[in-house]
Amino acid sequence: MRKLFDHFASRLPLELRVLYGQFLLRVIDLEALSIEADVTGFLGQFAGVLIMISFVFVGRLIYPTLFMDQAHTALFLREMTLQTEQSLITMTFLVTGLITVLSWDATFPDRRDVMVISPLPVRPYIILVAKVSASAAVLSLAVLSLNLPASLVFSSLLGSLNGSVWGVVRFFCAYWFVIAAGSGFLYGSVLTIQAITTLLFPRRISLRISALLQLAAFALFISVYFLEPSTPAFAALTLPQNQGFVLWSPPYWFLALMNQLTGTLPPWLNWLAMRAWIGIGISTTGAALSLLLCYLQTMKRTVEEPDLVPGAGGSHWTPRIGNLLQTALVLFSLRSLTRSRQHRVAFAFFASIVFAIALSMLHAELPPRKTIPVSMDYLIPTFVMMGFATYGLRSIFSLPISLTANWVLRTTQLRAPEKYFAATRITMFLFAVAPVWLVSAALAIPFTPFNAVAGHLVVLALFGSVLVELCLIGLYKVPFTCSFLPGKLNIQIVFWGILVVYLTVVVSFAEFENRALRNPNQLAILVCALVAAIATLWAFNHSRAKSAELYFEELPEELITTLRLISAPPPRTD
Amino acid sequence: MLELRRVSKHFSSIPAVDDVSFSARPGEVTGYLGPNGSGKSTTMKMITGLIEMTLGEIRFEGKPIQDDLIAYKRRMGYVPEEPYLYNHLSGTEYLTMVSQLRNLPARESADRIDGMLRLFSLRDDRHASISGYSKGMRQKILLIAALMHNPDLILLDEPFSGLDVGSALVLRSLIQELAARGKVVLFSSHELDTVERVCSHVVILHRGKLVADDSIERLRSLMELPTLEAIFSQLAVEQDSNSMARQIADLIHA
Repeated sequence: MRKLFDHFASRLPLELRVLYGQFLLRVIDLEALSIEADVTGFLGQFAGVLIMISFVFVGRLIYPTLFMDQAHTALFLREMTLQTEQSLITMTFLVTGLITVLSWDATFPDRRDVMVISPLPVRPYIILVAKVSASAAVLSLAVLSLNLPASLVFSSLLGSLNGSVWGVVRFFCAYWFVIAAGSGFLYGSVLTIQAITTLLFPRRISLRISALLQLAAFALFISVYFLEPSTPAFAALTLPQNQGFVLWSPPYWFLALMNQLTGTLPPWLNWLAMRAWIGIGISTTGAALSLLLCYLQTMKRTVEEPDLVPGAGGSHWTPRIGNLLQTALVLFSLRSLTRSRQHRVAFAFFASIVFAIALSMLHAELPPRKTIPVSMDYLIPTFVMMGFATYGLRSIFSLPISLTANWVLRTTQLRAPEKYFAATRITMFLFAVAPVWLVSAALAIPFTPFNAVAGHLVVLALFGSVLVELCLIGLYKVPFTCSFLPGKLNIQIVFWGILVVYLTVVVSFAEFENRALRNPNQLAILVCALVAAIATLWAFNHSRAKSAELYFEELPEELITTLRLISAPPPRTD
Repeated sequence: MLELRRVSKHFSSIPAVDDVSFSARPGEVTGYLGPNGSGKSTTMKMITGLIEMTLGEIRFEGKPIQDDLIAYKRRMGYVPEEPYLYNHLSGTEYLTMVSQLRNLPARESADRIDGMLRLFSLRDDRHASISGYSKGMRQKILLIAALMHNPDLILLDEPFSGLDVGSALVLRSLIQELAARGKVVLFSSHELDTVERVCSHVVILHRGKLVADDSIERLRSLMELPTLEAIFSQLAVEQDSNSMARQIADLIHA
């Protein structure tokens, strides 16, 4: 297999192979990773998380059948088929969407590519093919990791329901066709929109629009995933309340397509599968054409773009937040979060989850009742939002903005580490706790009684403070100056560990709080306990920070800077 | 006065700077010279406190700098060899951040930043992103950031890099003016002609070791050579430049 692959690869043009290798590494933004990062290990761990998700799907289907007889198992599998297919397609769309957003600009040549590659004798189409191949390789890895275990198990279980091997093969082929086509459709659609934006607008404006589109796409993919109604049977697709989603949400089209290919789609839903076919056609043609046109034009426009663009006009007033050091670090963090592409995307990832949870709460609250008693349905999501926001911001602090510029902060470090620590704490309050608290307060409007809502908002603020103090443990760094070590940190374990532990704690905490909100004494105890926890954690962090040294990650010293021309071989005399 | 006493720096047992001692006095510009890889920038980083020395001691006004690094940093201004800045900030935002980190009064530093941006011809581009700045513009931002707190010790590592002729002439005079006002100026450059005009005293490094530490005048008379370039070639350049050029041309032709 390896020999066959090597043989095939060696027949490709050398410049394509070289550029593909370079671009493949840059689909993951290397500047966002640690200098000690193991990129291959990081990709492997990312694939590990997806494979684990696939096994969760498998487990969800297989586990109940362990306690059933054959007849009940068959019945159960038939009932679960549509729901399982929908879950997998929706999850594949989410993963594809997230990868498309995370590698947003990776398919288009940036200024560095143009300036470095243009002077070389490389034809533009080679750059295009290398870029598309690199993006497709990362996307394929993710889709394969997510679906391989599930496809094998589901094909053998669900495909064999009609009792033939042909059914298994047909299900397996249909499954992979739909997954590949669905991913391609989404990737192609995003590329088409990006390419059209690039073609229609001047490069600088198109870059700004592209950044907004990227955030919008993020919010859209996550919202669709959270809000999409489940379909236990085909009849659910015709329910009036589901019509909006069924008509405009592509996962439903591909669900219909899958059932059309396996021969289980009712004829009255053929129009839905037709939407999938039309979508594939449009996105493939659109992406190919617009990408080609874009490549032919973009390279030239990128070279001609002026280096220096005047800054935005208007007021450049900057607010004062605490002392001068706190103002400097809060503004530095705000500007890093809003102006750096990778930070904006990472922040949007967590913000989108918060947004989606808030949206799904609104969705649940909107029905006829005007006032709703405070319940777990309100309490749990607010704690989940707070958790995502604080942990998310803490993670984003570990994406360095520019390691080479860290010398600025080091040579101007004129105050004790605990002062920097306090500035980081304010940053976390401003950009994580305060927004979630405000969103939660806004979402609380329909809930009653007022004192329970007010009590919860106090508890939520204190809970957020506890999370901030927990996130600050050991953080003796200025935000955005150091990185975590992808490849060295076992994200596949940390991800699941944090998720499971946090959700367990939150559910128990919300249950206790729900009771306490109806009992002033219990509420007072809860508030006192939280205040005590904050005070303890604050004192612990403060005393550790006093004796800590601020850590700044640096690029390693270059030992060899001379060209050593003296060691050049003497000219040949023969 | 800035003093380096038997300072060494080893990277994984490879000596980058080896037993270097010299001093830079207030009121004079000390030139710090050496070919690529000789250890100039490593020395500069040790003097700024960015990297720790393996051996030796650095003193400023008689006190080891490590005794109170924060107090020392307050009095130091540094222009690094490469103009690495936070590219997502504008020129004004960057300088304001540095002034805040240095705890300078807001009103006073805003006026000073504005005045220096005007004098360095950057005022029109002060709100543009640094990512679009040319190398010379970045260099000017670095100079403003290094000087705006009125430091007593000024460390300039290749400060003329990327500057246009007019700005370079201004900087040359500025360095002399600052020294005349009693500052300690340590200035590293490859432009020997400029060094010869600006510096009263030079330190030459070769392969991490000190090979000369004296006034230019005295070096000229001691070595019986007419220019700093000739002195430098004698002390720190190993190869015959004409022969090297021929070999490179031959290699390209082969």
